[in-house]
Amino acid sequence: MNTAIRNWLGLVTLVLMVAALFMIFAYVPTEADQGIVQRIFYFHVPCAWVAFASFGMVAVAGMLYLWLGDQIWDDLGYASAESGMVFCTLTLVTGSLWARPIWGVWWSGDSRLTTTFILWLMYGGYLLLRASADDTPRVARFAAVVGIVAALDVPLVIVSVRLWRTIHPAVIVTRQGGHGLQDPSMIVTLLVAMAAMTALWAWLLMLRFAQLRTRTRLDTLATQLAFAHAATGDR
Amino acid sequence: MSAFAAVLRKDLRLELRGGNSTIALLAMSMLVLVVLVFALDAARLRSFDSAAGALWIAMIFSGVVGATRALSAERENGAIHGLLLSPLEAPSLYAAKTAAAFIFMAVAEAGAVVMMVLFFNLEFDASLVRLIPVLMLGALGFSALATLLSAATGHTRAGDMLLPILAVPMFVPALIAGVKASTAALAGAPLASMGEWLRIMVAFDVLFITAGYLLFEHVVGDD
Repeated sequence: MNTAIRNWLGLVTLVLMVAALFMIFAYVPTEADQGIVQRIFYFHVPCAWVAFASFGMVAVAGMLYLWLGDQIWDDLGYASAESGMVFCTLTLVTGSLWARPIWGVWWSGDSRLTTTFILWLMYGGYLLLRASADDTPRVARFAAVVGIVAALDVPLVIVSVRLWRTIHPAVIVTRQGGHGLQDPSMIVTLLVAMAAMTALWAWLLMLRFAQLRTRTRLDTLATQLAFAHAATGDR
Repeated sequence: MSAFAAVLRKDLRLELRGGNSTIALLAMSMLVLVVLVFALDAARLRSFDSAAGALWIAMIFSGVVGATRALSAERENGAIHGLLLSPLEAPSLYAAKTAAAFIFMAVAEAGAVVMMVLFFNLEFDASLVRLIPVLMLGALGFSALATLLSAATGHTRAGDMLLPILAVPMFVPALIAGVKASTAALAGAPLASMGEWLRIMVAFDVLFITAGYLLFEHVVGDD
């Protein structure tokens, strides 16, 4: 049943992604100040949203794992961290591509860029922790703790880095209030791109999650088999 | 509380009787400062910014060294099993380990401040007194964070390499606030003018001490 849902979600992702690409390149008008480069915004923002949501899920899954101790939550946390990392990397790459013509630099000390990069480093560390140890319940607990602590840190990172410096455009909620999207078609395009990216994320997450579940089941079976062999004296 | 005091007393006694955490921390701080003096050409730069920055770099690197040692001493000969078998709650153990790490870091910081004044040609004056609360808040936050994380990373194959990779990005809020407040303190600004930065550091300390207190049992469980 899960496979059927997943396949349908894959199909929905395909349709939404094609629609989003069509809208970004053929439907939405070109932004007046920034020109054609601004169109990367419709992928940049959804990527950032999905990355943040994914990292939030790592923390929730970590708490549920520590509370209930079921391997399913650890698998969910691992899958979320990996897919979040993909979209966090995409956010940094698309932002950098945009910044070169607009800010004149690939990289700056801007606050949201710095915050995203620090998140990238933290969850990179999380994945390194998982990669550098065997998948035992102990490592699952370590990862859960790191995932929770990292999420707790995020508000402080945002506040401190914002106080430090910022030049990032505020589009969704501008500093004057309201939003910076002049044409209604821009909002529609952004919403479709958001839906497409969210569907892609959910699909990737489900694929990885299902794979991790299978691995957990195989590990359990292997352990049971080893016990069975030991019990009958069969080597 | 008495369990906390007992573990802390044990760690301090070990340190006084030829333990060398503080020496290692001091040596690390001095090395970082010396390298930065050569790398930045401090005689030419002689600014409060670079002095404060150098101090915090020294603090982070020596703090990482200290945190990796904090629990490795217990792992040798399986001493941690004794601790965990004793009627000692994991939160008390965490509090004692954090307190010990904080004390070692504070001693190393005092030495690092003296070396910073000498290497960066600053003055021994009242501005150093205002530096104390800033550095203490920073050292406390780092000890709280690194003690929790070192319990988690100590068993992995990458082991001690993972601790700085995890701890340094998470320490960024306190680092930004600490460097800004230290620069202001060295330049002679009153403590009241850095309220914003101090508040971030206090929030960081409270957050990570609480998190460590609640989560430590999950990482130290079965060493």
